[in-house]
Amino acid sequence: MTMSNLKYFSKIFAIMFNEFRILRRNRSAILISLVVIPFFFTASLGAGRGGEGETYSATSELPIAFIDEDLSEASGRLYESLVRSEDFNMLLQGYREEDALATLGKGGLYAAIVVPEGFEKRLLNNETGIIIVHVDDGSPGVDDAVLSNIDASLSNFNPNPRIKQTGNIEFVGVEIVMKGASFSGFAVGLTITLTMVVVFATFYEIAGGMSRERETGTYSHLLVSPVSLGSIMIGKTLYDVCLNVMRTFIVLGLAIYVYGASIHANLLSLVLSVLFIAILTMGFGFLVSSFGIGVRAVVIIEFFLILFLFAFSGFFIDKELLRGISQTIATVLPWSYGIDILKRTTLIGQPLMSLTYQLQIIAISIILFYGVAYLLLKLSRERLVK
Amino acid sequence: MSEIAIVTKELTKKFGNFTAVDGIHLEIPEGQLFGLLGPNGAGKTTLVRMLCTLLEPSEGTAEIAGYDIVKDAAEVRKRIGVVSDGVSLYKDLTIEENLKLFSTLYDLPSNIAKDRMHNLLDMFNFKEKSKRLVGELSSGWMKKAMIIAALIHDPKILFLDEVTTGLDPQSALALREFTRKLCDEGVTVIWTTHYMTEPEMICDKVGIIFEGRLIQMGTPKELRSSVSEQSLLEIETPNLDHSTLKKIEEIGNICKVTYDDPILKASCIDEGDKQIEESVTKILLDAGAKIRAINTKEPTLEEAFISLTGGEEEIDRFMEKARQKI
Repeated sequence: MTMSNLKYFSKIFAIMFNEFRILRRNRSAILISLVVIPFFFTASLGAGRGGEGETYSATSELPIAFIDEDLSEASGRLYESLVRSEDFNMLLQGYREEDALATLGKGGLYAAIVVPEGFEKRLLNNETGIIIVHVDDGSPGVDDAVLSNIDASLSNFNPNPRIKQTGNIEFVGVEIVMKGASFSGFAVGLTITLTMVVVFATFYEIAGGMSRERETGTYSHLLVSPVSLGSIMIGKTLYDVCLNVMRTFIVLGLAIYVYGASIHANLLSLVLSVLFIAILTMGFGFLVSSFGIGVRAVVIIEFFLILFLFAFSGFFIDKELLRGISQTIATVLPWSYGIDILKRTTLIGQPLMSLTYQLQIIAISIILFYGVAYLLLKLSRERLVK
Repeated sequence: MSEIAIVTKELTKKFGNFTAVDGIHLEIPEGQLFGLLGPNGAGKTTLVRMLCTLLEPSEGTAEIAGYDIVKDAAEVRKRIGVVSDGVSLYKDLTIEENLKLFSTLYDLPSNIAKDRMHNLLDMFNFKEKSKRLVGELSSGWMKKAMIIAALIHDPKILFLDEVTTGLDPQSALALREFTRKLCDEGVTVIWTTHYMTEPEMICDKVGIIFEGRLIQMGTPKELRSSVSEQSLLEIETPNLDHSTLKKIEEIGNICKVTYDDPILKASCIDEGDKQIEESVTKILLDAGAKIRAINTKEPTLEEAFISLTGGEEEIDRFMEKARQKI
């Protein structure tokens, strides 16, 4: 490593440690950054666990396979009730179970409802009919929606006119066996909590921090010193990466030990997934700070950003369940992919490196945000001087 | 012969249609204490901001220590120190922590940084306050802290923009003396101020800036002379007769003599010429006149400034324009 490289890194670390020194002096910032935000979001979502069964039921446009292995009158009637309910407008027939399972997770199918052989026979014997529902592991949240909609359709299900006619056969009901991902409410809540905490705190730390530096004149001081804009940005990024690792552990600790959330991810994948969202938000923070806005404007933008993510990024409602323009926005928003990565690694333990597509989009977005922010900060240098 | 520390050619800065700095030519040698004098909004701070690479010129060029302020901005930054209102220290850090940060940013080896920090803190009597947060310091101490931070890397050129504003008289005096000492050690200082008396006290050379233009440059004495080469001798002496007045008028170098009992006023061509004072006194004493008081008045830089900028009305008009811009 050459001398100039060493000097470059020492400046980056000087900026980073400087941020920590400032944080250390600012007790309210420590409190907000590492205690209030993580505790507030985790506690409010943890306390709301009672509502975990409620799901948005827009499964009507999801391609779902209906595999009838019983080929009976009862299974036919089950198909009709599902279609009649209008919750399953894309119920596809003609799949074999193996083919349907292979298609799950590749975007072609989100679930496969299998009516096994003997379904009608069990019903006629006053036994519970069994159907099996396979869901796409990679689409956490869809399982709840499919399950609740099948449940709702079964309330109008009349398996066989003979059951009513004879009067000695009692319709006991249908049991749904879920296969694939199954998540407890707070495990899903944990991904939401982590995303909210990270986006909320990180955006303010970067965009707000830069605005504050501009307003107090310390940014001008850095600009008249022999330190490059790149070093300033990297130094601040490293500082915030450290803060986000701390925050992740705080939220995880609360979620696991206080609210009993179970996660399937290894810790490294989880932390890295969180950091992807954090660095993406930092890039956006730098971009916003290049407009030369004040701290108050940063706070307003932050609330809009959070609202936007609530609605369009798979924060609460899975991207797959969104419709029309909402889904288009979700597809364009890079945070959607970060949240997707976080959900897949946290909820189903999918290896991070297998999520190539999402990682590519996140990486491109980060480069784009940082690149544009760098250019704008350079170009608007004069505007940013106090 | 000393090297040129700062040179500007046709340096101009425009903000939209407004020209803040208009085609300034400057040549400041190493070790000079150069004062930039002008009212608020005249373009002093914009000029300094261009020279310390915060703003890019719209037209013209400038070199600091031989480096172009646009093409070699990074090299320029290594060689300058800036104390200005818009350039601050981190208020949540102590002065020591601020100095540590900036010494790293200036690539100072830690042992040199430590020595320099101690020397500067000592020099400014800052030792006791070095662990206090900058935000807790009074404005005077804050200014001193800024100066220490600007000196931490031993800059060749120091920009002091309105540094004495808000300082108590003792601190301002100490700061002027310290700055003078720095220049004697070879540091070039650009001292901008709107206080008319300051450049007269310390500056080697003064540039008068008005409406973005450098309208006059020279030593304080040269600037004063440009307004009037005359100094005024004022003597309180009652009951003078006509013949004595005539004798006084006949002394060489005296331009004008007026007498309004008991005040005798004599304008002299050579300012502070003691010989004229002595000659007038001798004539008065020979004539048996009573001398109650003698005063010699020289033109001030303030008078020079007012005269050069087109008089008080012109300054008022400019200030009104500046206020409207704000």
